[in-house]
Amino acid sequence: MFLKRHIPIFIVIGVGLLTLFGHFINHKGIQDFVEKDALQWFEIIASFAIFLGSLNMLKLQMLKIIRKQKNWPYSALAVLGFAFAIFAGFFYRGANYIVISDINESNIIPITEILTEELQLKKPESIPDKIRASEDGYEIPKIFMTQSGAEIIMEKLEIFDVNMELKSKKWGAHLTERGSLFSWMFFNIFNPLSSTMFALLAFFVASASYRAFRIRNFEATLLLVAGIILMLGRVPIGELIPWWVVAILIVFGLGAISAPWIKNRKMVFSLITGGIVLFLGVGFAMGWNQTPPQILLIPVIQDWIFDYPTTAGSRALMIGIALGIVATSFRIIVGIERSFLGE
Amino acid sequence: MELVKNIFIKLGSLDRRIIFLLVGLSVLLPLLKPAWFALPIRPKQHSQIVFNEINKLESGNRVLLSFEYGPSTMPEIHPMSIALLNHLFVKDIKVYAVALWPDGDFMSTDAFAEVADDYGKKYGIDYVNLGYKIGGEAVIKNIASDILSLYPTDIKGKSIENIPMMKEVNNVEDFDFVFSLSAGYPGSKEWVQYATDPKGIPMSTGCTSIQVTDIVPYVENGQIRGILAGMPGAAEYEELVKTELKSRGLVIKSGEATSMMSAQSMAHVVIVIFIILGNITYYLTRNNKRKGS
Repeated sequence: MFLKRHIPIFIVIGVGLLTLFGHFINHKGIQDFVEKDALQWFEIIASFAIFLGSLNMLKLQMLKIIRKQKNWPYSALAVLGFAFAIFAGFFYRGANYIVISDINESNIIPITEILTEELQLKKPESIPDKIRASEDGYEIPKIFMTQSGAEIIMEKLEIFDVNMELKSKKWGAHLTERGSLFSWMFFNIFNPLSSTMFALLAFFVASASYRAFRIRNFEATLLLVAGIILMLGRVPIGELIPWWVVAILIVFGLGAISAPWIKNRKMVFSLITGGIVLFLGVGFAMGWNQTPPQILLIPVIQDWIFDYPTTAGSRALMIGIALGIVATSFRIIVGIERSFLGE
Repeated sequence: MELVKNIFIKLGSLDRRIIFLLVGLSVLLPLLKPAWFALPIRPKQHSQIVFNEINKLESGNRVLLSFEYGPSTMPEIHPMSIALLNHLFVKDIKVYAVALWPDGDFMSTDAFAEVADDYGKKYGIDYVNLGYKIGGEAVIKNIASDILSLYPTDIKGKSIENIPMMKEVNNVEDFDFVFSLSAGYPGSKEWVQYATDPKGIPMSTGCTSIQVTDIVPYVENGQIRGILAGMPGAAEYEELVKTELKSRGLVIKSGEATSMMSAQSMAHVVIVIFIILGNITYYLTRNNKRKGS
């Protein structure tokens, strides 16, 4: 009980109070703790959390495979993917590169031609200057996943009697070098899969809005109108929508809002038709075809929605969240809130 | 009249596979035949503010670029990174990159590889990539107080002491500008809360469309100077940078976001049409039900 409950609570209360007072007490020791040590502790603990998360994921997936639970082949794929990423990250660099030096001036152009042809290098015209400028040898801007791949190029360059060295990028640096095994996995497997998942949202949004975005009451109508204005106003096509379309929509909107209070349908119809005719007549007479008023332009209305109602709503939410954080933090610091212990 | 009603009722109860097909086509056709759907891109106020803020910087100024996005949001934010690097490099501004998301390392490496060579920029002298550190807000706070203790080496494993442009930098106050390329948490909000606002460093952001509502209060307050909002923001910024480069005698092809705006426009129009159709059907079927009862 003491180890599992009291010690963690004391640590949390101690660190919480120290961090809080650090903002009010001008003492170098406390300031250093808050600004430096505590942050580094946090980063170390966060790093360990990744290990714990990985182990937990492996455990869950392995159990699913062993027990042959529903959809267990997906778990097998997840474990295989994990193993492959570990292999590419920790055991196989696959990030070889070639450094050539002692290049004779007369060989620079033929070497450039071979490199451009074999490796499809970007901006080949800059290669000769780079070769001339390189003091410690010219690093061919291409990463080879295997040594044999690099050796094929080296064989082709042998005729120029240059000094060649096959090197590997440092551990860690190999992860992001375009062409390494890990980078290949990222850009050719993870990247398309991830993009596909996100792109599917467009289809679900279309289908869901078609079925669920209904004018059921005043609030739903407001949401729908704001949604449509934002969708059209954010993209270039919104600028092509003429003022009279917006004018007609405004009259329709006013008609929809006032309809529940007017029982006579013919009256509603007449008001809407009359409103449209009047609006358009005034518009054409005022020369709005050339210079339409800003209020009738979709992008302008969209900007207004972002700048005023959205900002006001977001601020209200943010202030509420901030007050909630203060209250929860205070409860944790004084030891009332113990959900972090699993209670 | 009954026939028209029936047509609308049928249109309003389309199979979702047909909706998927139409949405797919509305995206695919503009990408395959961009000339058929070419639309003018006019920069809006927020994108213009971002451009003006970057344009105000002078040669030799230092900009901290934070990569907080991954493959899923790459189509929206990566074009911003490319356009921004074009803008920064043409103005001879020194760029320092960090990543708050693990995927950010790949994004930053890719962006630098695409742009740096075009301007003859050298790693360690004109730009540096410090890479990803775990910890979210803690990393931002550390950058605000002591960047050197946080990053003993760069993304390539090279000691910070051996990188010439790192000699002038100790914490966030040594930067003239911070730019957050953000797709969520940790991102732009955390930069404002823990670094740029407390230390008084100007900052701008480029984020996904869905995040704009969260970020807009900071923009309206002036804590973030302008915002590149999603793919439209990226396209607008691309246009502004293209014009700027043209005025300097440099010609670059249109960016990815610009070429994708027609597809996004058509997809939005299709979704709006479906919403309107769905509502007409809802109105008609509701009336029929009322009459029936």
